[in-house]
Amino acid sequence: MNVLFQLPRLLVFALLLFPLTLRADADLDAANQDYSSGNYEEASRLFQQIIDVRGYSAALCFDLANAEARAGHPGLAILNYERARYLAPGDADIDHNLQLARKQAGLESDSYRWWQIVLRNLTIGQWLAIVDGWLALIALAVLANAFSANLAPCLRLPQPVLKRIVKGVLFVCIPAFLFFGYVALIAAPLRIEGVIVAKGAILRLSPFDSAEQIGTLPEGELVTVEQRHNDYLCIAGRDNLFGWVQEKELQPVIDGSF
Amino acid sequence: MNAISALTCRASWLILWLALGSAPSLAAATISQQINPPEINLGDSANVTITIQNGSASGIQLPHVDGLEIAGSSTQIMNTSINGVESNALSITFAIEPTHAGDFTIPAFDVTTQDGGTLHVHEMKLHVLNSATAPASPTATPASPASNPPFNPNGPVVMPPNSSSTAGTGGQDNSTANPADSSDTGFKPPIDPDGRPAKVFLVITPKITKAYVGENILMRVEFYIRNDVAHQQDSLPTIDGSDFLINDLSISPKQDNVSLMNEDYTCFSWITAIEAPKSGDFPLQMEQDTCWLKPNQNNAAPNDPFGNMFGQPPELVRGNIPSNRLVIHVDLLPEEGRPANFTGAIGQLKVSADAAPTDVEVGDPITLHFTITGEGNFSYIQCPSLTADPNWKAYTPSSKVEFDEESRTEGSKTFEQAIIPKKNGALPLPAASFSYFDPTTKQYVTVPISLPSINVTGSAPVVTAAASSSGADDSTPAATAAPAAAEFLPNRSEAGAFQASLAPVYQKPWFWVLQGGLVLVLLSGGVMTFLRTTTNTSEDRNKQARRRHSLLQEENAMSEAVRNGDALAFFLAARHAVQLQLGAQWGLTPEAITLAEIRERDPQLAASLEPLFTQADEIIYSGGAGDGLDLAQWEIRVREGLHQLQPA
Repeated sequence: MNVLFQLPRLLVFALLLFPLTLRADADLDAANQDYSSGNYEEASRLFQQIIDVRGYSAALCFDLANAEARAGHPGLAILNYERARYLAPGDADIDHNLQLARKQAGLESDSYRWWQIVLRNLTIGQWLAIVDGWLALIALAVLANAFSANLAPCLRLPQPVLKRIVKGVLFVCIPAFLFFGYVALIAAPLRIEGVIVAKGAILRLSPFDSAEQIGTLPEGELVTVEQRHNDYLCIAGRDNLFGWVQEKELQPVIDGSF
Repeated sequence: MNAISALTCRASWLILWLALGSAPSLAAATISQQINPPEINLGDSANVTITIQNGSASGIQLPHVDGLEIAGSSTQIMNTSINGVESNALSITFAIEPTHAGDFTIPAFDVTTQDGGTLHVHEMKLHVLNSATAPASPTATPASPASNPPFNPNGPVVMPPNSSSTAGTGGQDNSTANPADSSDTGFKPPIDPDGRPAKVFLVITPKITKAYVGENILMRVEFYIRNDVAHQQDSLPTIDGSDFLINDLSISPKQDNVSLMNEDYTCFSWITAIEAPKSGDFPLQMEQDTCWLKPNQNNAAPNDPFGNMFGQPPELVRGNIPSNRLVIHVDLLPEEGRPANFTGAIGQLKVSADAAPTDVEVGDPITLHFTITGEGNFSYIQCPSLTADPNWKAYTPSSKVEFDEESRTEGSKTFEQAIIPKKNGALPLPAASFSYFDPTTKQYVTVPISLPSINVTGSAPVVTAAASSSGADDSTPAATAAPAAAEFLPNRSEAGAFQASLAPVYQKPWFWVLQGGLVLVLLSGGVMTFLRTTTNTSEDRNKQARRRHSLLQEENAMSEAVRNGDALAFFLAARHAVQLQLGAQWGLTPEAITLAEIRERDPQLAASLEPLFTQADEIIYSGGAGDGLDLAQWEIRVREGLHQLQPA
């Protein structure tokens, strides 16, 4: 009944959003038009503008990354492919273009083991939904056990039979919950990752401009951010590369995570 | 601004420090002073530190001196308790800067303490060198008492050792360099007025005193503390001035116990390296901020058990201990014979390289690994240069340095550089070379690097003019070619579902509300189960006891009926016993258990119980006529059935 009362409001809300949707689609068309015409810089700007206004989507990040790649910004291209892959991990097109961009930037391709490939097929939200599904089943089973005396006649089942069913459900659900909980923990982006977007980012021994240079990082390199000190971030890269880089030289895969 | 006058304003803020504790109340206030360093170049600054022990004062001001300006001031208050003896110190430091070269004298003045006493500050001298007239001799400058006066007239006399006698630095050329790893080559510590070796002192021993711009100068830094001195160390030695860059010192220096002039010392030592960024003759000196207690000379005899009670408390001294002072002569690298790809690397270095994979398709990256090992200034070592080759596109290399020892002058620097073939065939990699300057032979060395040929298969990539890549050779024509750019899969025409943030779902409040709800349901179920279990236990026990009692009664009734040959009584009791068992099992009252109910719940059981129920009905409706029935046999069957129906 309440839903019926809410319907007019929902309609009005939808009507208000409709022009925004139309405008976004028009912007997307314009950006794609620029991309098709070879105006990659302008296309990048328009794609970024849509993201700023409406938020992220896997397709939009993918389009933006394509434009950045063609505009000769490998760091930003890889950053946005990573974002697109984060939003749609199972998308083969995104992975293909990401690997190609890495290859063109002179970076090693991602190599994953089978279990990492499995993990990367679902988003963290989807993994957590699976975990919650098992948790919900456990909760229901415990409730059914608590009210088995009342529930058994309703289900026309002997109480001991109902209890046996509950035990069976718990026997399956608890290990499944623990297993998928562990999987979700592994899949969770607990590490703060960033992509080097500057050319030849300098890696320093300590977070000061005068500190000793201990290396350089290529544009497009994916690194893990360990800690911060003022404008410097302590990063860990592949091959145990460890040091401090200026914050402006890398951008987070998950916006705002630094 | 008349800085010394302004000092009054800067120092006029009240320095209030109440003398708390027993020691200050027992001991009279004393004052000490320090000017550090006593000799500076024009443009540098010196620190004047006034320290009051066991007392307090306000409005400390330095007398006005023409040509000296104040650059800042700071105040420190220290409380120390050692072996139950408390002491405290108030220290104010003024940074002074000369406006011209020459000799300056800050005249003696008095400080009035909070309790009305007067403390006398002796005059202090500062010698300011004109930068252009800095000592030009490449030999080490002896640190005479005049140039390095005692740190504290009232405290321990700290006289940095004479550099000419310190490990034989000498300042000769590299071939006669003084060994930095030798700390005991006739070294004599500075002497205190009491004739004993100084309580604390700092010694620096560079391996060479003539170097080239950018060359690493290996140096040993040693900080000696006499073992009978209570000290506090919370900082590392620092280098004076900005003429040299120094590698980071370890926070865990090597610690040794040494004996000098029959006195036991603890020696903290570091091996580090310095480099000069410009040519010329530069003074080299370090200093160590430290804090220690000077036992009072008037203390009671060592064996006096009341010594600490009636003697004066130890004097707390804090300040910068200057090291011996040397002059390093820095030469420019020779212009003659300097290779085009020389980047400033100086040392004795070796280069190795490899490339992998060696079989690729056009557009596939090959990684070149260059490793440069040896002793040198690793911050100047750049990736070996590749000659321009239109068949290859090279990218910006990444690098990594690993040092083998504390001074950070020996180790290896590894470069990884991606390179992409632009055509197929057996392609030789571009020629690579690395150049450095060898300070021993005083010559530039260029090392050619051999790289394997690469077998490139596949077709030439599509060249897209609009695309370019990051790389060192972006300016070259080849940089405009983006291999296989056309292979990018096309854009999506639909934007898809938007989300405002990329933040993971577990960072959103609703997710935790949901988790909380689920856990709440789970806990509620658990609590309910627990409560039901505990509250129903006694009730269930009673019910079970009643049921067992009823069952026993019915079984007795059955036996009685068998003995009496009363079929009606037997079947009534037998049926009721079965109803009791099934009712307990299914949670129903016995009366609710009918054949139809049993058939609905368990048809197989109903089939086995049907004869009993039918026979019971027949006998009941016939008024008890059960002639010809073997009740004993029936009893056995019923008892077996009841046993099987035993509730769990």
